[in-house]
Amino acid sequence: MTIAMSGGGRGSRGLFDRIARLNWGIITLLSAIALIGVVMHFSVSGGESTAMPIEHLTRYAIMLTLAIVTAMAPPRIWYAGAYFLYAIALLLLIAVEVAGETRMGATRWLDVGPISLQPSELMKIAIVLALARYYQDIPAHQSGALLWTIPPVILIGVPVGLVMHQPDLGTAMLIAFAGVAIMFLAGLRWRFIVPAVVAAVIGAVFAYQLVLHDYQRDRIDVFLGLRNDPLGEGYHVLQSKIAIGSAGLFGQGYQQGSQSQGDFLPEKHTDFIFTMIVEEFGLLGGAAVLVLYAGLMGMALQVSMRAKGLFQKLAAAGVAATLACYVAINTMMVTGLAPVVGIPLPLISYGGTAMMTLMAGFAIVLSIDLHREQTGSRGILW
Amino acid sequence: MAMISPKRDMEAIFTKRALMLSAGGFAVLSAVGVRIAFLQTLDPTNYAEARDENRFDTRVIAPPRGVIYDRFGVNLAITSKDFHIKIVPEDAQDIERTLATIAAICDLDESWIARRLRDVRQARRFEPFLLRQGLTREQFSAIAVRLPELHGVIADAGEVRRYPYGEAFAHPIGYVQKPTERDITRAVACQEGTNETPLPPHLCDPVYLRNPDVRLGKAGVEAEWEEELQGVAGWRKVEVNATGRVVSEVGQERKEPVRGGGLVLTLDAELQRLAFERMAGESASAIVMDTETGDLLVMASAPGFDPNTFVNGIAFDAFRALNEDEYKPLFHKAVTGAYAPGSTFKMIVGIAAREAGVDENWRVNCPGYFPFGGRNFHCWRRGGHGSVNLHEAIKYSCDVYFYQAALRAEPERIAQVARQFGFGESHRIGVPSIEDGIVPDPAWWRSIGRGQWTPGLTVNFGIGQGDLLVTPLQLAVMTARLANNGKAVAPRLVREAQGLAPPRPAQRVAGVRDEHLAAVRQGMYGVCNEGGGTATRAGDLQLVRTAEGRIIEASDATRGLEPVRIAGKTGTAQVRIITAAERARGVKSNASLEWRLRDHALFVCFGPWDDPRYACAVIVEHGGGGSAVAAPIARDIMRAVFLRDPSRRQPARLADLDAGRTEGARA
Repeated sequence: MTIAMSGGGRGSRGLFDRIARLNWGIITLLSAIALIGVVMHFSVSGGESTAMPIEHLTRYAIMLTLAIVTAMAPPRIWYAGAYFLYAIALLLLIAVEVAGETRMGATRWLDVGPISLQPSELMKIAIVLALARYYQDIPAHQSGALLWTIPPVILIGVPVGLVMHQPDLGTAMLIAFAGVAIMFLAGLRWRFIVPAVVAAVIGAVFAYQLVLHDYQRDRIDVFLGLRNDPLGEGYHVLQSKIAIGSAGLFGQGYQQGSQSQGDFLPEKHTDFIFTMIVEEFGLLGGAAVLVLYAGLMGMALQVSMRAKGLFQKLAAAGVAATLACYVAINTMMVTGLAPVVGIPLPLISYGGTAMMTLMAGFAIVLSIDLHREQTGSRGILW
Repeated sequence: MAMISPKRDMEAIFTKRALMLSAGGFAVLSAVGVRIAFLQTLDPTNYAEARDENRFDTRVIAPPRGVIYDRFGVNLAITSKDFHIKIVPEDAQDIERTLATIAAICDLDESWIARRLRDVRQARRFEPFLLRQGLTREQFSAIAVRLPELHGVIADAGEVRRYPYGEAFAHPIGYVQKPTERDITRAVACQEGTNETPLPPHLCDPVYLRNPDVRLGKAGVEAEWEEELQGVAGWRKVEVNATGRVVSEVGQERKEPVRGGGLVLTLDAELQRLAFERMAGESASAIVMDTETGDLLVMASAPGFDPNTFVNGIAFDAFRALNEDEYKPLFHKAVTGAYAPGSTFKMIVGIAAREAGVDENWRVNCPGYFPFGGRNFHCWRRGGHGSVNLHEAIKYSCDVYFYQAALRAEPERIAQVARQFGFGESHRIGVPSIEDGIVPDPAWWRSIGRGQWTPGLTVNFGIGQGDLLVTPLQLAVMTARLANNGKAVAPRLVREAQGLAPPRPAQRVAGVRDEHLAAVRQGMYGVCNEGGGTATRAGDLQLVRTAEGRIIEASDATRGLEPVRIAGKTGTAQVRIITAAERARGVKSNASLEWRLRDHALFVCFGPWDDPRYACAVIVEHGGGGSAVAAPIARDIMRAVFLRDPSRRQPARLADLDAGRTEGARA
């Protein structure tokens, strides 16, 4: 290895070697989860069309390839570009605010020629990188100080406010959770955390009263049981609970879920696909999917713990936190533990947006893991 | 060292916190798992039941309606297989193109497409809407193979009510239609127990009534015998999707519907059709009744309408055209039309006068008018009839005789005899909207607040004018009771139905002597068969009776055999009042008047004279004179009746007919 590297040309052997040293455990778990999506999309079509599963598979294959290619680049590139990326994402969010495309009542899309962008997705990665770099850059002993806590709050607060205004409560929650998770991991002192939680609760109540849209308030009312609306806002969750509650340990069988196959369950190919998994494969099937996600999260955290630099640690952990947020919010939502906020189940739900965000995140995780031996200046070498 | 120490501190903090965070993450994911287990076990909501409620649906199978037969078992109303196409608007993609495709296959024009396009847009989004029925097998299969491109279209074979005779039986049979909003409102009220009158079970079930295949009788026998004909609904369990579309049938869970009970009518399809066709172009009604049993062999009203167009909802314009027609095709004239009987009432007056003691040979001199109460009551014949007795008065229809006979008989007696012969009475034959008519008398006159009855009213009463109103059915009943020598036979339209009691034997009309009846019958014979009779042309039927007693058409070979004769009475009922001034100028002939101002033409008759069995009443609205217009129609109908002699043929039995149908269905 040393010979090959010092022997001049970083030839094909080096590339193969680097590919071999990729974290194949993570890739395997990602692929397993994406394949569950492929299988479920075939069931969504009632076993009649392969169009959706093939599209899902193709999309994943392309993104995985891109992720592996991207992983070859060292983390310092992410470090160097972190603020720039954040600035771009923020500018695009502002552009959406000014000139965004309104679809289905929400202004999230920005049409750039033929490409339709959701800047809020870019922000999910940018916030992780920007905060990781911030904590990397500031004097380590100051990371718990109050004054140094203000910039991260602004870094998180501004995009969250913009995304909430779109309105996209789910994505705003994801950005906020990921950002707060990084602040927490970076050593935010408990004496700030406790009042912050109190402030967050008060803020949430305030937001409920003044900021949220009627439909969002309705969803929360239904969730809290303040309103009973089985044909309106409560319909999705009621049908989801019926499907899950009647599935049993082993489920109704593949392509046999009457709630899903009979279209009683809405959005079964996107936000409510976890319900369909439980309906057709039972509690065991649902638990298996949760275990796969937990394993993926654990492996990302493992990468963060054995990484050398704080930037790498926080970035990898931030991706893990983002994944955990996605999965937790989605599965809690479809089981009636959280209000309906429209968060897909990453890698399984149909659609490219969440998959792209996640795969970009895991490209960074793979890169960090691949380059964990290389460190640079200031105690952190690369 | 000082630089390194906080950094190591950071790493330791990170590791600790990362572990805390991952513990939190695992806790949340575990909570989701526990939540699933909770929903499946401890949650008191029965989700499996809720799922099955979503998944399975019990669909009503509308029962085939009972068949309506004529007296010999000919189908008058049947429920038969029909190929039809429906569309679910929600599932349709390009409705216009879909309709164009169907129109091309079924050979329909642009206006059909436009009409259906409008209908479909107004129809309920999730319910199948009937586009067209009565498709041929070729059209049906042509559409069936193109179904993949015709989104939302359902090609189906179902049961539909058909009326093979169409117009001829439209009034007595009636038709079925989809339950109306009023039916459903009534059913809801019935279910809540707030209904004033009890309803049959199926009319008390709004869900059943909303089923697109359910039809209710809305006119004629179909309406009146609704409960009998409806049958018992079946059901089937199906698996449905969220839009209510059937995904699959669920195995054995199915109950077949039971066909409704059949009805055998007294009508003779052949004679009914013939009578209806004979009245073509007129606004008229004809009834033929068996004088012994009361069986209605013909009960036709013209013009008719096609009841088949009502079964799946008649187009608005078509309905308006029917409804606004001057000839009133929707109107069941035979039982609902009430007319002044005019001279056909004179037999009743004659009987009443005899009952009052008027001698058979009491004669009246007719100079063409009768001065009474300061005015002249005119005879239809300006020059008068000279001296006439009862027989001649009937034969010539002399008004002056009956003016005076009525004064002798007195109004109460005339009214009483009229009622004995079926006037003013509701003959419940099993169709809706039966008119009672009016038999006026002094008590009635007072009861409606008109004060004292005057003798002038009696004079008018004598020629069947004034407030007296009768229906064609009542005229036929009167004629039958005259013909059978005073047996109060009741008309009957339904011969057989499940649970229908046989008719009670007719009682003799009380207090009317045979000789009085015979006297008016002789007068009626004169009308048709003696010189000067008002309907001598109608009396010649061109039929003879053979030595064996059969009736056959007259020809050279039958010379010498006894001709078959009828006895009858003409009538002309004034629609307008003729003023004295008008009379002075000369009464306008009917032909010069506007149609709606012309007199009604009436004719009643019975026969064969030597052995009466059939009575007939014909009324032609605004037809002019009874002898010129109504009598020839009656003559032709009676001629056909005599040749066919339906009352002496073996009628069909309901049990045999329904049994045959069941076997046919099995085969």
